[in-house]
Amino acid sequence: MSSNNIDAILEVKDLLVYYENAIAINNVSLKCPRGKVTGVFGANSAGKSTLMHTISGLILDMRIKEERRGGERITWYGDVLYNGKNITNMKPSDRAKEGLILSPERRQVFPESSTMENIKIGGYLATREEAKKTMEYVFKLFPELINLKNREAGFLSGGEQQMLAIGRALMAQPKLLLLDEPLLGLAPSIEARLAQAIKTINAETGITVVLSEQYARPVFPIIDYGYVLENGSIVLEGTSEELMDNPDVLGAYFGM
Amino acid sequence: MDLIIYGIVNSITLILMSIGFALAYGVSRVPNFAHGALFILAGYLTWVFRYRVDLPYWLSIILALIIVGLVGIALYQFILIRVRGMPISEIIASFGVGLAILEFLRWSGLRGTAHMLPPFISGTVRIFDVPLDYQRIIVIFGGIGILLFLWAFTTFTKTGLSLKAIAQNERAGLVLGIDADRAATVAVSLGAVFAGVAAVILLPLGNIVVEMGYEVLVFAIAVSVCGGLGSWKGAVLASFLIGFAQTITVSFVAPHYHFVMALFIIIIVLIFKPSGLFGRQKELEERV
Repeated sequence: MSSNNIDAILEVKDLLVYYENAIAINNVSLKCPRGKVTGVFGANSAGKSTLMHTISGLILDMRIKEERRGGERITWYGDVLYNGKNITNMKPSDRAKEGLILSPERRQVFPESSTMENIKIGGYLATREEAKKTMEYVFKLFPELINLKNREAGFLSGGEQQMLAIGRALMAQPKLLLLDEPLLGLAPSIEARLAQAIKTINAETGITVVLSEQYARPVFPIIDYGYVLENGSIVLEGTSEELMDNPDVLGAYFGM
Repeated sequence: MDLIIYGIVNSITLILMSIGFALAYGVSRVPNFAHGALFILAGYLTWVFRYRVDLPYWLSIILALIIVGLVGIALYQFILIRVRGMPISEIIASFGVGLAILEFLRWSGLRGTAHMLPPFISGTVRIFDVPLDYQRIIVIFGGIGILLFLWAFTTFTKTGLSLKAIAQNERAGLVLGIDADRAATVAVSLGAVFAGVAAVILLPLGNIVVEMGYEVLVFAIAVSVCGGLGSWKGAVLASFLIGFAQTITVSFVAPHYHFVMALFIIIIVLIFKPSGLFGRQKELEERV
């Protein structure tokens, strides 16, 4: 894939992110093709979450909070382009209005609200018709949640919470869905189930997906293009076949 | 029998006093220590509109509520927004504003016992042989009305749901397109209006005095802490607990102990349930 003339819904250009003087993202540039699934892989502290925060805009919120506390200084350079528009300094809630929705790491469901209420809250940006349609779709995608409608989300299992988190993100009518470690801490059978669901969402609705994962194997079959992050820099990129052929990748992220 | 009826009235009085505070904290984690000041401000404004400007009673009330709501918006937008996320600073800032409002009112002439609001309907009825004036019946229905409104608002409206979302997990709310500052503004302003509603319902039972502002704040905090900060179900339960305990103290011990009783109950509850009656956030947090 020549990376110059693809139709990218999201483009990150020469991004540098510092926490105080420590560099978290070092000169990262990447493109996420529209309608495809892009994976970002890397070990702990490789910068996956920081990258996701920068794309979703949460880093602006983090910076404000840290400033008020007199904590770490967070600085960044470079651009994040969404549909060709520079959104580097746009508030996260405004990015969400443009269809850029993050399903955060560790799921972050609203623990005291019921499953149904979580889904309704997800529909904050949706019109009544959109919400109704998407809700049906979510329950079709994750029939497990139907019987848990009235259970408080804090009492769901990890897998169920993750389904809920993805469903909730879908309710916000994303055009670009960011999934930050969607398979974190789940059993292998649930991992496969969720990976399949993510592929189904992409195939059926055409929503572009960008997901980050530490361990590449369960999501490898569903990605179209992948980046490997190490210490804040991209060390490898390619289609899933290209990455598959690379012995370093096999060793580090597949355990082969 | 009169113990039960007056216990209920007293409990609902506490609910009215504290629900605005519990709401602002519960949905946006803003401890609004100007709550008592907003309460008195609403009462005093109603009095000013009624007797100084000579407006009809209902119009005075509505105007006072609107102004208090706007003060709530200003309080968040100009002051609290700068210290958001730092609880101690939020407390000091809002308490400072409350102090300024109350002492300004005192300075501008709110002294003595000359300031009174008339009851909505005067007269008494006998319920189970206990004499009860109409204003206290309005207190009961007002309290129930506010709770129903609050329940409906946070269950069925998008704004209400978004407030709940931000209270539970701000970042997860942000990435779903909910503006945290907007939600907090709505919460503080609505809390202020609730303080105002409580004021116009409760103040006809007594005088409008500045000291009442501090008293309302103490009761609001007592009820919210006891019920578990951030949970208005807890606040309601705690109101009944403290309300009945006070009524019993007043009847069997001595009236001036009712204030001590409220604080005593906090101590007892916190010994056995350190996060309050309904404070289960901690419990859920520990599940990963």
